Amino acid sequence: MFTRNFRNICRRYSQSVTFRTTETSPVQQNDNQVGLFYTIEKDVCKKLFGHGGLPKSYMKQTKTFTETTLMIRQPALDVIDCIKASDLNKPAIRYVLYGETGTGKSLTLAHLIHYAHDAGFLIVHVPWVSEWLRRVPRHKEMSNSQTREGFVDLPLDAAAWLLHFKTQNQTLLKCGDLKISKDYVWSKREQTSAGAPLAELVEQGISRVKYACDVIDALVYEIKLLSNNKQCKTFVAVDGYNCFFYPMTRLNTPTKKKVKPEEVTLTTTFMELTKNDWTNGVIVLSVDQIAVPEDHQESYLPKYLLYKKGFEHLDPFVPVEVGRYSEKEFLSCASYYRDRLWLRGPEDLETELKLASACNPYKFMELCAPL
Amino acid sequence: MRNLTNQLLLFKKYIHELNSFRAVIQSRCYSRPTSFPDYFQNPIFRKEDQLKLIENNELSKLASVPIKPPAVYETSSVYHDPLVNKVINHVMEEGKKKLARSLVEKAFENIKRIQIERYHLATTPEQKSKIVLNPKEILHTAIENCKPLLQLTPIKRGGITYQVPGPITEKRSLFLAIKWLLEAANEKERTVHFPEQFAWELLDAANNTGKVVKRKQDLHRQCEANRAYAHYRWQ
Amino acid sequence: MSNVIKFSFKHIIPLSRCSYVRTKSTCLLNIKGYSSKAATTDSDVFDNFTDWETLSKTKKISKAMRAYLERAKEHDEFMKKQQFEFSIGKRHLANMMGEDPETFTQKDVDRAIEYLFPSGIYDPAARPLMKPPEEVFPARKAAEFDEAGRPHHFLFYTGKPNFFKLLYDAAENIQFLYKFEDKVIRKKETPYPNQNLDLSNTVWFTKDQLEQHLVEKLTDLEYENFKLVMERLISLPYSYQFKDFIEKFRKTLTSQKFALEIPKPNFDEDGRAYVTTYECLRKKARGDVTIRSPGTGKIIINGKDITYFEDTQSREQVIFPLIFTGMQNKVDVECNIEGGGPSGQSGAIRWGIAWGLRSFVDKNMLEAMQVAGLLTRDHRRRERKKPGQPGARKKPTWKRR
Repeated sequence: MFTRNFRNICRRYSQSVTFRTTETSPVQQNDNQVGLFYTIEKDVCKKLFGHGGLPKSYMKQTKTFTETTLMIRQPALDVIDCIKASDLNKPAIRYVLYGETGTGKSLTLAHLIHYAHDAGFLIVHVPWVSEWLRRVPRHKEMSNSQTREGFVDLPLDAAAWLLHFKTQNQTLLKCGDLKISKDYVWSKREQTSAGAPLAELVEQGISRVKYACDVIDALVYEIKLLSNNKQCKTFVAVDGYNCFFYPMTRLNTPTKKKVKPEEVTLTTTFMELTKNDWTNGVIVLSVDQIAVPEDHQESYLPKYLLYKKGFEHLDPFVPVEVGRYSEKEFLSCASYYRDRLWLRGPEDLETELKLASACNPYKFMELCAPL
Repeated sequence: MRNLTNQLLLFKKYIHELNSFRAVIQSRCYSRPTSFPDYFQNPIFRKEDQLKLIENNELSKLASVPIKPPAVYETSSVYHDPLVNKVINHVMEEGKKKLARSLVEKAFENIKRIQIERYHLATTPEQKSKIVLNPKEILHTAIENCKPLLQLTPIKRGGITYQVPGPITEKRSLFLAIKWLLEAANEKERTVHFPEQFAWELLDAANNTGKVVKRKQDLHRQCEANRAYAHYRWQ
Repeated sequence: MSNVIKFSFKHIIPLSRCSYVRTKSTCLLNIKGYSSKAATTDSDVFDNFTDWETLSKTKKISKAMRAYLERAKEHDEFMKKQQFEFSIGKRHLANMMGEDPETFTQKDVDRAIEYLFPSGIYDPAARPLMKPPEEVFPARKAAEFDEAGRPHHFLFYTGKPNFFKLLYDAAENIQFLYKFEDKVIRKKETPYPNQNLDLSNTVWFTKDQLEQHLVEKLTDLEYENFKLVMERLISLPYSYQFKDFIEKFRKTLTSQKFALEIPKPNFDEDGRAYVTTYECLRKKARGDVTIRSPGTGKIIINGKDITYFEDTQSREQVIFPLIFTGMQNKVDVECNIEGGGPSGQSGAIRWGIAWGLRSFVDKNMLEAMQVAGLLTRDHRRRERKKPGQPGARKKPTWKRR
């Protein structure tokens, strides 16, 4: 007791220590550590976020700071506590993270994924939905779906996602306990039989890009079954969920007709996954203003961004607001930037930056950039 | 050539001393023509300048005279630099100040990232202390290294136009330095973005290498070569 | 005041006693022995004699003098009539307004005219006015030459005698100061070491004011010359000796406006002191700013946070006065603005905050704010585009021929 107080006093006097904490696993983090930074080890980082998941600007920062750290913030801790306290036998609870642009929704999601990984969940993570529906380079690989009439497939994206899924869940898939329940016939010569491990299904999808979307469908169905049978607990994380409900995508069929999100197979798959008709799982979604084009970016509240259909689909959900920095968080972030040589100058300039950035994390990072 | 550069360096040192005296009046160097009448004085809002005034007991005298309001881009925070603002103005086209400012800020960010990388790669503390991390300092040193000390004026005598070396004012040499830096940054490949190219140019110039410093040295060599025509200025 | 109508007349009588009579009144004086107000009894007595010499001598007046006298006569009559009408009109006006005609000052007259003839014209000089005739009609010079045609002023043939006399005086003073300085150096003493000219609060007369002062038209070049000469005079040491001469041509500026009427804060329901500044303008933005004293540094613009402005420059401008005075954590700011763009709105808010902070800040900081220029209202507006040009200043391509 005495030693802990002494340590706290030491921390208060030495500025350089106050923004860090030594707890590396989110499972053990608690309310005392709000506002402090913890480091994610490099291999864990590569495994979980190798194919996306962290925003691009953040990736640049990790390269400059030579380390990946996240700030422990109240919304993430709230969700972790809720997950710990919830009864997994009941249907899966849906949490929706919302907030203004740049307050840290994607990073909170990353924090929760790290927690899920440490707690042994099976992670189903969609890094950024707009990447599929709105990012259209010159020629987007699209094909008409074979199993379903009138639906559009995105084979390359699906294959990439399956690879991501595989790297994230390496340990769980290697155990080999998770088995498929029924047969899947892909073509005359290819099929996956019942009782095969989940890893084989995933391999099938990665190698045969043509059937990747159907593989994902099957995968989702299997995961739901496995969770219901209590063979694994699942953690579903989707960033930018409201993109599924925006009336238009940027995709065009070869006949130059605009595609709606409901006509893309991936949409239906993930809508299936986020229904609350299965147990032993947690679903965390985030709705973002920047996932939709600029005409419809008036508000950041879920009801506006999800439109009527999404709102009804997700109806009983727990909204979690991710807000701006509080005083303590702001000071800790500023001292972290000083430590990493990102911010220089006299001490009292933090008030200026605080006022100018209005404590918005992204804006604060942008403001510190040229200084 | 060496004699000339030595003389030029001595000249530069002398000018540098003069400039240190002019530090107080720096706000007047960038004073802008406005529609306020002549008797309005320029505002002094930086904390250091105000402290100097308080020491000289001139604050109350200035307070009784009408003073122009500070411009839209001027603040009293330490982060405000008149040189940076000048560079932003030169980058700006068609009055798009926001875009120009964001470009220059991104260039500074790139400089910072490159320098931090170098800092982490450097092993000994001596090397680490030599690396400058503040992008504004790098901008200052880069512009200092790019400022020419003489300029060539075309003078026509007997049907032939000679390039005659002559003196250059402070303002003009600053203008030329910034113009050359921006021209060098614009000669970039299509895929490279302006802030990155500009960052590389600034770092090179601060190191006394690179295209712009070479251009300045070429100019000095030309002046030295045309030294014989210097008397044409007074003919 | 020496150049107002001054009529000097040499009254030539064979008797040398009262040689000339000088009056300042606007009464007419005839050439031959008109009895002026200040005439002595002697001259009356003598005037009654019809002298042979005076009868035979016919006075020779130059045509110019005659023409001038006629014009002067007309002008004097005109001015007298105007003066008479003005005084009567003033009395009528006082009666109309129901006030006492005796104590009706010029200010009351102005007020009355503004009330009776309201005008929406922007230029104050174009509105209806009623002023004493001396102010309305421009002053004219007195007789510059006598009836023989000889000019009184030694520089009359320059065409602008008063102006050149001014320059001549200034040059003489400069020469005097040179000699004085030489004397001082020779004697190695400093007389009056503590005296200095304090001209910080004053500016030189503008060209129009100088023209009014000298009752002569000037060109720009001459005005610049005048300024140069006076600057030279001031720059010499010991120039305090000609302080009166210099101050005749300096105008004091209306100073210290910012310190005059600092409003006292009101108190609202929670007991916090607040000050509101209305009419915060910059370019086309209009608004009002309220500052509440014991606060935490919250800024609310039109109901939104400082994120109302998306670009950094505008936000920095809004924060500028708070950081300058160091009050960023001590006051709350609430403002409503409309019109204009981000620059105009942020400039208006900056001025509003600085103006409101006057009530919460001590005197030193107030002076510091004034020196920083935060308290000056920016009256610049967009310059109008002129016909025949593409913009306000831009001209079409210049062709030599």
